[in-house]
Amino acid sequence: MFLQPKSVEAALAMMAEPGARLLAGGTDFFPAQGEQVIEHPVIDISRLADLRGIATTPTHIRIGGAATWSEIVAQPLPRGFDALKAAAKEIGSIQIQNRGTIAGNLCNASPAADSVPPLMALEAEVELLSAAGTRRLPLGAFILGNRKTALLPGEMVSAILVPRNVAENASAFGKLGARRYLVISIVMIAVAMSLENGRVGQARIAIGACSAVAQRLAEAEAALVGCRKAEEIAGRLHAGHLAALAPIDDVRATAGYRRDAALILLRRVAAAAMLAAGN
Amino acid sequence: MPTVKMTVNGKPVSAEVEARTLLVHFLREHLDLTGTHVGCDTAQCGACTVHVGGKAVKSCNMLAVQADGAEVTTIEGLATGDTLHPMQEAFRDHHGLQCGFCTPGMVMSAIDLVKRKADLSEAEIRAGLEGNICRCTGYHNIVKAVQAGAAATRGR
Ligand SMILES: Cc1cc2nc3c(=O)[nH]c(=O)nc-3n(C[C@H](O)[C@H](O)[C@H](O)COP(=O)(O)OP(=O)(O)OC[C@H]3O[C@@H](n4cnc5c(N)ncnc54)[C@H](O)[C@@H]3O)c2cc1C
Ligand code: FES
Ligand code: FES
Repeated sequence: MFLQPKSVEAALAMMAEPGARLLAGGTDFFPAQGEQVIEHPVIDISRLADLRGIATTPTHIRIGGAATWSEIVAQPLPRGFDALKAAAKEIGSIQIQNRGTIAGNLCNASPAADSVPPLMALEAEVELLSAAGTRRLPLGAFILGNRKTALLPGEMVSAILVPRNVAENASAFGKLGARRYLVISIVMIAVAMSLENGRVGQARIAIGACSAVAQRLAEAEAALVGCRKAEEIAGRLHAGHLAALAPIDDVRATAGYRRDAALILLRRVAAAAMLAAGN
Repeated sequence: MPTVKMTVNGKPVSAEVEARTLLVHFLREHLDLTGTHVGCDTAQCGACTVHVGGKAVKSCNMLAVQADGAEVTTIEGLATGDTLHPMQEAFRDHHGLQCGFCTPGMVMSAIDLVKRKADLSEAEIRAGLEGNICRCTGYHNIVKAVQAGAAATRGR
C-alpha cells in the first residue's frame, strides 16, 4: 500500500496503519530495500511543503525534517551552520543531495551519518510529532545506537531545532574517507566555537564514525578554553581526549588507524574553526 | 493501481502503474525511453540520472508516483530534431565516451552542473560529476567535453 498524504495531519493519521514506514528522499530506503518486494505500507512525506521550510523563531533556527540537503545548502544561515553545510555538500553527490533529507539522515541512524556531528556541535534538538502532540529530545538522546532511535510508533521527525545563540558560533567540519565522495566516512568531526576577548570561550566538538553513535568530546572541549591562536591548538589536543571512542576494525580502516586519524583530523578541524572565528 | 501524470520531455503522459514502479522503470518500460540506463540498484552509479523539476536526480531512487505532476527531462529530450544539445555535441567531439553506458547520465549531470555555475574549473567539474561513475574513459575526456559543452552552452 502506497500512501501520499496531502498534509502532515493526514500523514500522522496514516501512521496508525500497522507496519507503516515513512519515505522521504528514499536515498537510504531504496538501496536498503534492494530486490525485496515492499510489503509494508509506505507513506510518502517527500512532497509535504509544511515539513520542508527553514524558519527563524525567537529562540531557534528551525529546519523542517523533510528539507533536502540542497535546500539547506542554498539557504542563508548563521555561521554555526557552516559545518552542517560543508557536510551536506559532500553527502553522496548532487543527485543525492537533491533528494536526501535531514530527518532521513538522522532516522536512518548510521554511525557514519555525516550530519550528526555538525548538529551535535550546535546543541540541536529533534522535534517529534505524533497524533498525540509534539515532544523534543536533544539529538544525543534521539539516536540510541547503530540504526536505533527514540522514535515511537506513530512518530515522525517534524523539525530540527538549533538555539540561535549557538548558531552564531564559528564552525568547521572535516571528514576522512577513502575517497572524497560516495564513500562511508572513516571519521568525521565538527567544531563550533565562540571567542571571548580573543580567546576560546566555549568549544563544542562532536565526532562521528568512531563509536556506534556520534559523541561530544567534553575533555577536548575543556582543553581548548582560553586558546588564543590556531597554531596553539595541536599542542592542546592529545590522544587521551579520544579515550571514550570505540572505533571498529572493518574493511574501511582498522581501529588503530581510526584513532590516529581522528586526532589529526580533530586538530585540523579545531584549527579551522579557530580561523573561522577570526583568530 | 495509481494513475501517474507527468510531463516528460515536454509531452504530457499518463499511465496506470503499480505504486512500487521506480521512475527509471516507468521511463524505460512504459514510455520506451530506454536512453536512461540502469547500472546498479544502490543509487551509486548515476547512469539513471534525469531531471525532475529542473534538478538532477537518480531515477532508480524514486518511485514514478513520487514524480506525479512533475516536469521530467531525459536524455531523449535534449536534442532539437537532428540538432544535438551542445553538451551532447561536446561529448561526441571530445570522445567523452567509450562504451556509452554511463553517457546519458553523464550528460544529464553535466547539463545540471553547468546550469548551476556557468564558469567551471576542472576541479569543479570533477567534483560535480562525483555521482556518475564511468568504467571506461578514465574521466579525462569527459572533463574536456564538459568544459567545451559549458563554453558552447554559454555561447548559445
Ligand atoms: C550514493 C549514496 C551516497 C550517500 N552518501 C552519504 C554520505 O556521504 N553521508 C551520509 O551521511 N549519508 C549518505 N547517504 C545516505 C543518505 O543519502 C542520507 O542519509 C539521506 O539524508 C537520507 O535521507 P532520505 O530523505 O533519502 O531518507 P529515506 O531513505 O527516505 O529514509 C531513511 C529512513 O528514515 C525514515 N524517515 C525519513 N524521514 C523521516 C521523518 N521525517 N521522520 C521519521 N522517520 C523518517 C524512513 O522511514 C527510513 O527508515 C548516501 C546515500 C547514497 C544512495
Ligand atoms: S542505476 Fe541509478 S544510480 Fe545506478
Ligand atoms: S563510457 Fe563506458 S562506462 Fe563510461
